[in-house]
Formats: sequence, C-alpha cells, structure tokens
Amino acid sequence: MKITYNWLKDFIDLKVPPFELAEKLTMAGLEVVSLKESGGDFIFEIEITSNRPDWLSIEGIAREVSAICGGTLKTKTPKELKFKNKGILSVPLLVSNKKDCPFYSGRVICGVKVGPSPGWLKKRLELLGCRSVNNIVDITNYILFELGQPLHAFDLDKIEGPQICVRRAMANEKIITIDGKEQLLDPEILVIADKNKPVAIAGIMGGREAEVAIGTRNILLESAVFNPVLLRRGRQKLGLQSESVYRFERGVSLSGAARASFIASDLILSLASGNPCGYKSLGSLKTADRLINLDPAYVKRVLGGAIPAVKMKQILNKLGLVVKVKAKQILSVKVPDFRQDLKLPVDLVEEIARIYGYEKIAQSTPAVVPQEKLLSKRDITCAIKNLLSGLGLHEVITYSLIDRALLAKTGIKTDSEVVEILNPLSCEQEVLRPSLLPSLIRCVAFNLNQQIDYVNIFEIANVFLARPHSVEEEPVLAIALCGVHSFLSKQGLVKDDINILHLKGILEALFNKLKVKDFNFTPQDDGKISILLGQKQAGFMLELSRQALDSVDIKNRQVVLAEVNLKQLFGCIGFEKKFASLPKYPAITRDISFVIKQDIAVRDLLIAIEEKGAPLLRSAKIADYYQGKQIPAGFIGLTVSCVYRLDERTLTEEEVNPLHNTVCSLLEERFGIKLR
Amino acid sequence: MDINLIQEKIENELAGVISPQALEEVRVKYLGRKGLIAELTGSIPMLPIDKRGGFGKEVNALKIKVLNLIEEKERSLKNQDSAAKKNNIDIGMPGIAQRPGSLHPITHIIDEICTIFNRMGFSVLEGPEVETEYNNFTGLNIPLDHPSRDAFDTFYLKKYAKSLLRSHTSPVQVRAMKTAKPPLAIIVPGRVYRPDAVDASHLFMFHQIEGILVDRNIKFSDLKGTLEMFTKNVFGKDIKMRFRPHFFPFTEPSAEVDISCIICCGKGCSVCGRKGWLEILGAGMIHPNVFKHVGYDAKKYTGFAFGMGIERIAMLKYGINDIRLFFENDLRFLKQF
Repeated sequence: MKITYNWLKDFIDLKVPPFELAEKLTMAGLEVVSLKESGGDFIFEIEITSNRPDWLSIEGIAREVSAICGGTLKTKTPKELKFKNKGILSVPLLVSNKKDCPFYSGRVICGVKVGPSPGWLKKRLELLGCRSVNNIVDITNYILFELGQPLHAFDLDKIEGPQICVRRAMANEKIITIDGKEQLLDPEILVIADKNKPVAIAGIMGGREAEVAIGTRNILLESAVFNPVLLRRGRQKLGLQSESVYRFERGVSLSGAARASFIASDLILSLASGNPCGYKSLGSLKTADRLINLDPAYVKRVLGGAIPAVKMKQILNKLGLVVKVKAKQILSVKVPDFRQDLKLPVDLVEEIARIYGYEKIAQSTPAVVPQEKLLSKRDITCAIKNLLSGLGLHEVITYSLIDRALLAKTGIKTDSEVVEILNPLSCEQEVLRPSLLPSLIRCVAFNLNQQIDYVNIFEIANVFLARPHSVEEEPVLAIALCGVHSFLSKQGLVKDDINILHLKGILEALFNKLKVKDFNFTPQDDGKISILLGQKQAGFMLELSRQALDSVDIKNRQVVLAEVNLKQLFGCIGFEKKFASLPKYPAITRDISFVIKQDIAVRDLLIAIEEKGAPLLRSAKIADYYQGKQIPAGFIGLTVSCVYRLDERTLTEEEVNPLHNTVCSLLEERFGIKLR
Repeated sequence: MDINLIQEKIENELAGVISPQALEEVRVKYLGRKGLIAELTGSIPMLPIDKRGGFGKEVNALKIKVLNLIEEKERSLKNQDSAAKKNNIDIGMPGIAQRPGSLHPITHIIDEICTIFNRMGFSVLEGPEVETEYNNFTGLNIPLDHPSRDAFDTFYLKKYAKSLLRSHTSPVQVRAMKTAKPPLAIIVPGRVYRPDAVDASHLFMFHQIEGILVDRNIKFSDLKGTLEMFTKNVFGKDIKMRFRPHFFPFTEPSAEVDISCIICCGKGCSVCGRKGWLEILGAGMIHPNVFKHVGYDAKKYTGFAFGMGIERIAMLKYGINDIRLFFENDLRFLKQF
C-alpha cells in the first residue's frame, strides 16, 4: 500500500517530518518498507497486515496518524446530491443472493464529458503507481485509494436492458476484461450482468465492453459490498488480482460504500460535469453496534505494567471508538463498522499497547515451572548425531520432497506406495520420500562433481509411507560412504578404498556405544545385508548397483549405503550403564593362524570356536586376515585370537593347551582349515 | 710430569668424545684401576719427601677435575641424544588422527536455541510433518478462506483429504495443549514446507523453532524479558531488540521482533536494507480463540508464543548469504561447522 505525505495532509495537520512519521508508523504496526521523495512529495510504501482493511486508504492511515502523533482527523462529509429514486434513467436492479452481495448501489450520471484528468489528480495517482486513464476512471481509483472503497463506472449505453443484475456466472459464460483477456466463468464466480451477458466480474475486474471511454455520455457508478470469501475464491480461480478485490477480500464497510458513492459522484460532477439522475440500491446499510467491555485490570493482566485507564480511553477514542466508563472502571467500547477486526477485549488490549508503545512496556522474567522430563527421543537423536560425527561422518540435510524419477533411477525399493503431493510447483516436489537413500546418493554425486574424492555423510530425518488411511512418518538414519579414504600414517599415505565393512564398522561402533545388546548383519537373497536389532530387521546395508550409479553419473566409484529405522533402534538402546568388575587374574591368549576357504562364513566359524572353548574361552576375535601371494585363490588367511581366563584364579598352560587343541581340531574337522 | 699438561690433554680428548662408549674408554684410561691417575698416585711414594705432599694434592685436584669433566660430558651426551631423537621427526609434518566429522549448521543452531530454553525450564517437543488442516489452520484461528492464509501457502497431499505438509511448527502448539494441562513450557524445532520458488532467500522446505509458555499470570512483559534473554544469548550481549506491532491470527497482541543489525550495529547496511534492524522472529500472547480450540480456560490462563526461521538465524550468525547452500550439502561448506 502506497500513500503520499501531501495526500495525508488533506486529512490531518502533520507536524512530524516524513522520516520521523515513517519510524512512528513502523513502530505502531504499519511497517514502512520504503520512503522515497518524488515530485515535491514523499511516497510511503507500507506493509498492511491482512486484518486491517481500514488501513488500505489514506483516510484510514490518517486516523492512525492522529492517534500516534496527535492532531484532529478531518473526515470528508459527502455533499447531499439529488439523485432520483425513479424516472426514465433509473435502471432496474436485481441481486440474486444477498449473501453474495449484501449491498449494491448504482447512481446514474448523465451527460458527462469524458476526457483527461486535471494535473493534480493525475499526479496523485501516478505517485501511487496508478496509470491515469480518463477523468471518470481516475476518480473511481482516486476514491479507492483515498477512502478504501472500490467503485466501478460503466458506460450505461452499453448495458443492455438497461438492467443490472448481480448473479453467479453461468457455466461456460465468457467475458473479456479491461486487460483485454478472455475469462472463462463458472457458477463459483459472481458477475455483474446486463440483460444478456456479464459486464464485469464482480469486485474483481470490469469488462471491456461497458468500459468508460472517450465518447461515453451516461455512466452508472457502482458502489457495493461483496462476499469476501466468494471473491477470494473467484480471483484465485481466475488468477486475477486487482486493487478492488484486494480490498473486498479483506472486507469493506457498509457505511464506507454508501459514503464513497456520494463523494465520487460529487467529484465526477465537478470534474466531468453531467447531471445526477437515477439512483437505486439494494440491501440494508444498518449494522448492529458492537459493544466490547474492557476491564483495565485485564489489560494489566495481559500486558504487565500499568497503563492508566484514562490513557486507555484516550487511545481508543483517537482510533475512532466510542468509549464510556461504566461502574468499577469498566470501559464500554462501541466499535464502528470499519473495524471488523475488533471482536474481543484482547483486541482492544493490542490497540492500547500498540499506540501506547510496545517499547514502553517493561520486561519481566516469567517463573517457568520446569516440566517433568525423561530422556526424549530428541536427546537420543542428538547423541547419535554426535557419535556419528565423532566417527568422522558429516551430517547433511536434504529435502523431504523428491522427484519420482530419482526414486526409480536409484532403484531404492520400499514396501509401500509413495505419498504424492497434490500441488507441487515442480517435479522435484512430486512425492514425499519413502527412503533417505535417493537423496543421499544425489548428494554423493554432487560432491564427487566438486572434485571431492571421499564422501562420508549421514542424515536423520523422517520417511513417509502411504498407509490405507493415513501417512506413516518414521524417523530413520541413513549413511552413505563413497570414494577413497586417504590419510597419513607413520608408514606414509594410506589409501583405503571404501567398502561395506567400513559401513559395518561405523554401525558397530554406534550400536556398541548405544549399548544395543543384540545386533547382527546377515546377507539377504537380493544382495542387501539385513541389519538385525534384537532378532528383527531394522534396516539394511547395500552396495549400489552399477546401473544405479550410471544413472546418477557416478563413475569408477562404489557407493555403500545403510538405512536404519530409528524407532526400532530406540527400542533396543540400553540406557542403564552397569559396571562389570575388572578381571583379577591374567588371561592366556592363543592365536590360531590358518587358511580357510573363502565361502565359509567367518561368523559361523567364530560361533563354533566360542561353543567349543566355553567356559574358559572368554573371547575369540579375528586378529588379522590376508589374501595375496602366499594364499591360494579362493582361500583366505585368518588369525583368530583366543583369550582364556578364569575369574577365581590364574589359569595354567596345562589347562589351556588341551582345550585350545580341541578348538583347533574342530576347525580342521568341521571347516577344513589348514594351520599355517 | 706436568699435571697441567695432563689435564689439557684429557680435556682435548673429552672434547672429541661423541658417544657414551668413547666416554667410557676415556674414563677407564684415566680413572680406571690401571688408569693414568691411579698410576700417578702410585708414583707418589717414589718422590722425594718434600715433593710428595704438593704432588699428591695436585693429583687429587686433577682426579676431581676429571671426574667432573666426565660427568659433565655424560650429561651433554644424554641431552644430545634426546635432541637427536627429536630431530628424527619434523613436527611440521601432519599429525596423525581420525579426522572429525561435522554436524549440519541447522543442527548447531537448533541445539543452541534448545539449550538456551532448556536452561530456562522449557522442554523440547517434536510433532509430525504431515498435519491436518485443522491443526495447521483452524485450531490456530486461521480461517480457511481468509487473506491471512496467504502467508501460509501449503502443500496438500493427494489421496488423503485435508492432509498437508505443515507450513509452520505452530500445529505442535495445538497438539501439546490438547494433550497436557498448563503449566506448559515447550520449544518445538522442525521442518516446515511451503510451495515457494527456490532462490537465494527462499526454499520450499526450511526449519522453524517455536516456543510457548502457558500458565497463570504470563504477561506480554514476560515475553519481552524471555526473548531479550534469548537474543542476547544467541547474538551477544550488546545486541539491541525491539518489538514491533504486527498481526498473526494465533496471537493477540502480536509483535515482530527485530534485533539491531549484527553487521553494521544499527548504522544501516545492505544486509539490513539500510534500516539498522533485522527482523528475526514473530511473537505474541496466545489468542483466546486458540485456547478455546484446545479447551484451555482463557479466564484462568494466559500464555505467549514465538517462532522463528532457523535458516535466517544461521545465515545471520554465520554470515551465509545464500539459503540454498544449506541443502546443497557441499562437504566444503559442511566441514566449516
């Protein structure tokens, strides 16, 4: 909304200079977003909040200025003009539905001279960025800006009948609007029609055919109040926007509609001559007075601090409200119809606080009653994030909305349908992702393109699964590793090609730190590796297929991925920390080095060792593995480290050796190992 | 034999010693059982009586002198030894350690804000991202067909009627108040969605954090005090804050909160659009209609609510000039946090 300093002066004696005024308006809730000097005047651009249609006019802002800066508001009183309620040029008027149009009035002015507007009028409109058309159209715009009431002038001779009907459009009815575009209408759209066809889209835009132009002799001046919701839906449907509908949507007042019609007519008569002729209106202008009782103690309760009741009354008066003091200091406030936003006592509290000044309200510290709080999911999520970043991973945040094509390209399958977005702006917002992995794959590809040769990232976010009656939202953790992890060691540069064991290592470290008791990794038939938490599948690891890599332009690299359902993980976390006594007696460690066929699962081997060695055997771990020159193809060299120990005394070699030998022979017999 | 000459000779010899082995050889040569000094001592009885006393003293002095010299040499050799070891490693070489990862800047800001409010007694609460039209709008006093909704363009879901992606974190207010009675002090971080075209300052997904406090006697002045504490904690104690009247359907009175520009300290620059102030959050007293929707007694309770965009705070705090960087996830960007 734009206003000018000089125009404002028509309504109030301004004592504050423009820049100071801008500051004061901003601090009263009319945020001045720009202030420019132009043609000896100052243009204020103000952001008007949607609850204040009364501020969409010079007069409304002047009223506000009088409350903020002092000074008396000079309102315009319309001259009594003699329009006849009957006669030959009195046009028949029909309003099909009162809800759609609570008030409609038309004034006929005959014999006008359409021509250019006088300079002062042109200038004022142009300063607000409104193009001058001709004196009649300019006057309707002038009144719209000055009083906030949209008006429309028709060329009466182009209205067939002549008759005015406010009705819903019929299906497939068409109109060419003043911008020259053809609009297809339907019964959701309100129109102003003559005997045969729509001549304007009510409150939104006029039609070209009945437009006032050079040569127009007789005009019909419309001033009305339309249903805000109906107009809003209409302009959304048609994709139109105008100064008129902007105000109608926010609500114009009945009294304003009547008044503006008079003031505009007066201006037309003086600038374009012509005679007042017929007048007709439908709908009542009567409004029920709204009374709000305000207890000054309530103001204090909401704001804190103390504003004197006298000051409250003064502020409300200045804003155009009528205040009476009743018993017990209660203020009885009568609200005028241009303030539709004031309904509850708290609305008046805001008015008082706003004008009094938010900055004058003291600060205090509330007494917060601490909430009973257990360890929340968020705390655990934070812990997981910290653990993963400690393990060298970088956290990413990617969009929850993705394109279907990415899902297909990366070949990440989920067991449910995807949730589709009804109104995406682009294909990148087509669906809610059922997995984080496609986004992470894209993120890996992006980083590889930046010549980064080692990408190790994770994300924790919700995935969305389509269920029959609702959308299921589940928090998941996803990890992606790719490239060559190169680092300096004492031996020099080590280049470590990432594979799935790196991923496993990260998950093991995470699960161990979270005290997850029972976790396992087992291969699935489809090549993925299941992550089992407490015997249940809680996620999987996989190596991305060549085809998928090609589709996202990842060349000569391997990407390993994991996704873990956090809800399941939360259920398996051991929150109790318990100390286990340290061993009092030394252990005896025996290593077995051997060659074994590669297709034998190491896990089976270790389980067998542990069973055989129990109870003296306390742990059996892979200490080393080797594949290379000395090992035949299809075999792997392994070293298993066995630790034997007793809690109550020191073990002797004589006790351990025979047991260890049976372990070794078991391996030879059952797994066909060859000791090295 | 001239004792002084002997001493000079020993000194020269010791100067040439560079290893503990060579030093031991010198020690044996002079101080050993069959060494020169023992020999000299042994020769005393063969001297004339009047010379014996003087010579004996000289030999003794020499012995003490040589002992000291050897001890000194031993120490210097030890020092040289460790110096040599040091020189084996150039400390300019890169250190050896696991390289640390990083948390996303948005996570850092959320954690920081949650921590500040945790200390004040607020608890963190999270809510779903798929919401009902009721929780996102109606319950928050936002009429479905009203221009006040224009600020909240919203993604709707196909196949699920009245389901949408929340366009702000405020629906969690409704959920929290419906499930718990006052006093209520919560802080709500999370992802929100709005169909906006992506540019340097707009995304279709971003993060918000929201706080509410409901109890008997919660006042607008408490809101001011709480947010003052918050802004000073996040942006430093010299930051100034101002409350500007504004309109939000779910609060009354409502305010937008500005801080003095952290770039120009209020003088006016390109970041603050020459205004000297930066808008960082919206706030207000919870609207009685919201209380009505959740079944709170507006006669008994009052409360405040505030909300802000995390990306905005992160951009200001870290000096990030393009919002798209947050979700591009360039590792060179992420590693800076």
